[in-house]
Amino acid sequence: MALDEFLAELDQLAEAAAESFASAGDASGLEALRVKLLGAKNGQLKGLQKGLARVAAADKPQAGKHFNQTKQRIEDAFALAAQRLESSGTDQVGSDFDATEPGLRPRLGHLHPITQTIQELKDIFGRLGFRVAEGPEIEDERHNFEALNIDPSHPARDPLDNFYLSAAGYAADSEAKGPRAEVSPWLLRSQTSTVQIRVMENTPPPVRIVSLGRVYRPDTADATHYPMFHQIEGLLVDTDVTMADLKTILRVFCSSYLGEEVEVRFRPSFFPFTEPSVEVDMQWQDGWVEMGGAGMVDPNVFRAVGYDPDQVTGFAFGLGVERLCARRFGITDIRELFKNDVRFLQQF
Amino acid sequence: MIVSWNWLLQYVPLEMSPEDLEARLTACGLNHEGSEAIGQDIAIDLEVTSNRPDCLGHIGVAREISAIYDVPLSLPDPQPPAGGSLDATEASLKLEVPEMCPRYTARVIRGVRVGPSPDWLVDRLKTVYASKQGARWEPINNVVDITNYVLLESGQPLHAFDLNQVAGRQIVVRRANKGEEFLAINHKAYTLNPSMCVIADRDRPIALGGVMGGADTEVSNETTDLLIESAMFAPLAIRSTARALTLFSDSSYRFERGPDPSGVDWASRRCCELILDVAGGELAEGTLEAGRCDPDREPIVLRLSQIERILGIEVPREEVERILSSLGNRVEGESQESLTVVAPSWRRDLSREIDLVEEVARVHGYDKIPEDRQIPICASSRSREDRVADRIYRALTAAGFDEVVTPSATDLAASSVFSPWTSLAPIQSKLPMLRGADCLRKSLVPSLLQVRKTNENLGVEWIELFEIASIYLPTPEPHAEQWHEERKVLSFCSGKDFFAVKGVIESLLDSLGIAAPLNITECSDNFFQSGRGAELTLNGSPLGYLGIPSPTAAQAFSLRGPVVVAEVSFAVLLAEAELVPLAKRLSPYPTIDRDFNFEVDERVRWAEFASTVRQVAGEHLESIRYLETYRDKDRLGEGMKSLVFKVVFRKADGTLTGDEADKISQRIESACGKDHSASLRS
Repeated sequence: MALDEFLAELDQLAEAAAESFASAGDASGLEALRVKLLGAKNGQLKGLQKGLARVAAADKPQAGKHFNQTKQRIEDAFALAAQRLESSGTDQVGSDFDATEPGLRPRLGHLHPITQTIQELKDIFGRLGFRVAEGPEIEDERHNFEALNIDPSHPARDPLDNFYLSAAGYAADSEAKGPRAEVSPWLLRSQTSTVQIRVMENTPPPVRIVSLGRVYRPDTADATHYPMFHQIEGLLVDTDVTMADLKTILRVFCSSYLGEEVEVRFRPSFFPFTEPSVEVDMQWQDGWVEMGGAGMVDPNVFRAVGYDPDQVTGFAFGLGVERLCARRFGITDIRELFKNDVRFLQQF
Repeated sequence: MIVSWNWLLQYVPLEMSPEDLEARLTACGLNHEGSEAIGQDIAIDLEVTSNRPDCLGHIGVAREISAIYDVPLSLPDPQPPAGGSLDATEASLKLEVPEMCPRYTARVIRGVRVGPSPDWLVDRLKTVYASKQGARWEPINNVVDITNYVLLESGQPLHAFDLNQVAGRQIVVRRANKGEEFLAINHKAYTLNPSMCVIADRDRPIALGGVMGGADTEVSNETTDLLIESAMFAPLAIRSTARALTLFSDSSYRFERGPDPSGVDWASRRCCELILDVAGGELAEGTLEAGRCDPDREPIVLRLSQIERILGIEVPREEVERILSSLGNRVEGESQESLTVVAPSWRRDLSREIDLVEEVARVHGYDKIPEDRQIPICASSRSREDRVADRIYRALTAAGFDEVVTPSATDLAASSVFSPWTSLAPIQSKLPMLRGADCLRKSLVPSLLQVRKTNENLGVEWIELFEIASIYLPTPEPHAEQWHEERKVLSFCSGKDFFAVKGVIESLLDSLGIAAPLNITECSDNFFQSGRGAELTLNGSPLGYLGIPSPTAAQAFSLRGPVVVAEVSFAVLLAEAELVPLAKRLSPYPTIDRDFNFEVDERVRWAEFASTVRQVAGEHLESIRYLETYRDKDRLGEGMKSLVFKVVFRKADGTLTGDEADKISQRIESACGKDHSASLRS
């Protein structure tokens, strides 16, 4: 007997068996089929086994292996049918399987709501073509103040309104005669605008960036203040950027953030590094909600970084991440964000 | 700044509703904070930004209204009649500190009748003060009330001295002596120092310049002769004095921001005129004066094209001129393209072209700027830092870790507990960030342990934490450019065991596509339990630290449960990460595996043992799967252990046979025997 023929017969039988087992209506019918197919004396498989003897000796290993596999397939098909009939006949009350028991839940960690908010902001501004730039948190007075057009008499430079730093062995005071005495003191940055300066110092225009991160101001912690908080700062500089572009970008941002079309409004304000300077409000339900500050980059800032204010214009804006985050998640006290109660974090 | 509706009416017609006025003022830069009815008047609270001291008086606000509504502004022109001229013995002035007080003027009024203020004056002040201080507010007397009235009218602070109480009738503007005592009109005593400017008489300070008058020379019902001070003080000196003494006044608030230099004389005349009116007396002819503060106004050229270039909208030339003039700017010259403008003395914030552009913008109205411009698109790819951080976020949240955000400063005790990256003292902030927290972090681990403690106290069971943030390390040899190093790190704090945290770090490396093995050497930092601390390296770069804190360290945070911490360098992860791996061809052939159980000395390190296996297993090795380390004194003997693992083989180009696998196994057996004195357990 040819090997091919033998193998084909085995496959046919396996298929026929699977089909008939599947259609068996009750236990006795299934048992009859079992005897017919798998019966030890006169079962059809047994019949085929005789063919094995007639296969050429060289083909025997392969034929034997296939025979065993076929037998297994038929037995599996029978077992499946038997199980099907058994379960359909069983009263559910007695089942030892309760699908309503709780699932085994892998415990997933949660990202901090501040991080989630920052990711959303980076996402939106990324789609608007803004690249993310990073900068240091410890800054010198040039980047934190001078280049931002904040002169020494400005109240923002008051030592009581900033975290000035000192380290052992050398003092940040100008009075001290440490190795650092000739250098301007260092402080924790009070705004992310410092990154604007660093980027512009190192990149020719056009510039389109956002920077996000921690900033520091000595406020007493309460429901809406914390001495450490996060800001997002945006900067767009090109040959013909106007306030209308600023308003457009902020409107598109607010609409993207809220997921619906909203209007923004500008109110005049004062920041040393922008002029004109505005507060930005966003329509929220029935009223206006403060978003942050914005304006056109002050010509002095451009000069400080070596840009020519007659060649380029630009806008900058800064928004408080905590405020956006609190509003997004309904957080009423921002101190919660820094307490890190795991039950709090797991909500988001 | 609280303004009175009725008061404003003295200078501008108010034909609009209060609501409309409030909204327009807000849109124009004077943010409306709230309004309150006071008797027949309305107190309107407006926020004034620090660049607009001119709006710290009713006239300034009225001028804004006149510009916004295009209505005329009418201002008083005080010309008080003077009597007998001022004699040098009647009063004298010496200004010693022009750097603190650039200009000082004083007028003398003789023979006033101090008494209650008339109703009109009380009404005006009441709207402002009752709204600010509450219904308890009471007028003081006609003279003091007039000085306050003129301050609220013009923004120029004034002070009236009882001239007969001024010792030697001398006014000396000088630095305070160290430790000098001063009793202010609030009847509190202050100790002064030479950074403060005082108005003194022959013997003692009688006023803290620009901040508050003194009790000794206060105007009382017995006062007959007055010295009316109108002066300018340097903003920085005022601010530091007010701060140092925690003594803030309407006067210091205005001097910090810088009133109109030309207003000094106007306010003085206005004050005298009103006092003569209300309290009688005779104004001495002549003014005591010293110092100068010229309003140094350079002409500004405004190119009209700049308006559209900055704002994105055109504003008609006539509108530009109208706005600038109504705000007090003088147009001195005109051409086709530009205007030459001299800004008024009270607007020191106007010195450049861009300042005028802003004036035009805010009065013309930001609502006229469109918000539907076409912004050119531009490519922006996510930074590698962000991509790596995102991978970390994904891996760690999947591993069940919650992200925390903790303050960048701690107290000294927490800062000293664990500082593996440097042995130097922390960088300190001169003000504490939170209570006692004035040390910039040298590690995030102490903060995480504190958070763990907080959560233990709250009864939280699952406290698996991580944070990505900067640490701040002082440099050993500071010089100008290199004073400190700011380093981003990723830290973990877990209640699981050492190997669970190690495994998370390994999986994290995996998710960053870092194939290099995590190298472990013992870390002797005594923050860790002896032998339970590890230094981690990756491709030879120091990656970080992992270990179990010693009982003493855990005690420092009063931790109850077991804890494992780790801290790794973000920069090293960033450098090593392979974010876009290339696909490798996978063998379609089946695997064969062999289990091993080697008895070895306890001192044998798994990493070295596995490396031997890896070396001899050859090219068909797919993986070495560690199963367990078995220890049993009775069966293996003291100081011995058995390493149980499975080695999986697969051939790239065919099915590996059992014989081949056995041959490799024999090589493994003999190499391990040779290198590690290991013997197979049967």
